Amino acid sequence: MLKIENLHASVGGKEIIKGLNLHIREGEIHALMGRNGAGKSTLSAILTGNPAYTVTEGSITFRGKDLLAMAPEDRAREGLFLSFQYPVEIPGVSMVNFMKTAVNEKRKYQGLEPLSASQFLKLKREKEALVEISSKMQNRSVNEGFSGGEKKKNEVFQMAMLEPCLAILDETDSGLDVDALRIVAEGFNKIRKTKEEAHALGQPATSAIVITHYERLLEYIRPDYVHVLYNGQIVKTGTAELAKEIDEKGFDWLEH
Amino acid sequence: MTTLELHNQTIELTLGSGQSAHYLLFNPVGGKLRICQKAGSTLLLHVVTIAPNACGQTEIIVEQAERDCNTQIYGLSLLKAQQEQELITRIWHQVGGGKSDQLLKFVLEDNARGSFYGELKVQPDAQKTEAHQTNRNILLSPMAKMATKPQLEIYADDVKCSHGATTGQLDTNALFYMQQRGLSLPQARQLLLAAFLEETLNGLPETEADRFRTLIAENL
Repeated sequence: MLKIENLHASVGGKEIIKGLNLHIREGEIHALMGRNGAGKSTLSAILTGNPAYTVTEGSITFRGKDLLAMAPEDRAREGLFLSFQYPVEIPGVSMVNFMKTAVNEKRKYQGLEPLSASQFLKLKREKEALVEISSKMQNRSVNEGFSGGEKKKNEVFQMAMLEPCLAILDETDSGLDVDALRIVAEGFNKIRKTKEEAHALGQPATSAIVITHYERLLEYIRPDYVHVLYNGQIVKTGTAELAKEIDEKGFDWLEH
Repeated sequence: MTTLELHNQTIELTLGSGQSAHYLLFNPVGGKLRICQKAGSTLLLHVVTIAPNACGQTEIIVEQAERDCNTQIYGLSLLKAQQEQELITRIWHQVGGGKSDQLLKFVLEDNARGSFYGELKVQPDAQKTEAHQTNRNILLSPMAKMATKPQLEIYADDVKCSHGATTGQLDTNALFYMQQRGLSLPQARQLLLAAFLEETLNGLPETEADRFRTLIAENL
């Protein structure tokens, strides 16, 4: 699904990622942990093609294609989705209009006909129910005046609409209380397609990169692997047990 | 709604007591529109300029000559290539109890030049006046230029007046967010700009607003 090799990247001339390797196979969940400044969010910015970040060395292959050669929108249409740490408010642009354009752009890329208004509404209702989001929110401008929890929920709703094969959850747990965290995580688990479900539809299973500081989110979204990022590199890889250990002992013991 | 053609001439109009009027100036070539408002009259004016063939200085003068008048002006200007527009508004509150509200927005692409001069005069007798002026502009190219000059002269002490002017670029975070959802950069820009301009179409008949939305989309 995703292969990162010897990645070096910088922002504003400062090198943040210093030789990172990561291989994610279809259907796998990888947790990425580490302190602020370790390079977690930089990695998600690089993967999605944020123009503020520069790759200086290395390669990234996504579904057999050279990811770094693709425009941000094509990466999205290919099935890469970022649940933003700080979802952007876009006054005046309605959620419905935004999502309709996004869904139909992806369909166009896949060589499918655009959805009609009624087909789109049906899909929207179905996904609203799935992630337990109020349809009233969809009549508002994108994220405008949403609470922190609503914004994160809205990210998961958009994920449900766009059905990505690789989702990056960038600190989706930050700013959420326990209940909101559970709803968002369960929403993700419902959206996520296992190999059996996906292959029955002729699609790839959902893989994910879960970026977090805390072990709690990983109690809901069980990772296959846990990586610790320090100083722009992965310094330790383990299973879900590693996250528990970090929860107890902190990051210090890993950073030597 | 009445459409006025401004071709380098002066149009003078008077709104009688209690009268309501809605005027549209579409792609004014230049000239002067002078409106005198009598007691309790209500004026709604839209000045819409979308990629005009020719465009010069357009001056709008509204005089609230009698009490309790209401003036609402919306301006939308979308200029590209070498297009230039100079928009001047002069609102004169001569007597009290009047309200005026102006919202003017420019979107400038390529080498376009925009200019807004907004004079707002509240005379000593015009107590309890409420007057607001807002000018917001977006530059889509490093070569585009906007000059804005709000000019408030307030001689009465019991009034509520405000003005604001901003010139900036499209929000790059919003553009990237939309691209991450699969929208192309031109699509994302178009959605943001349409949203930015939408409120200047307030109060227009729906068919007219739709005509302008289409024209805006065609010219972005």
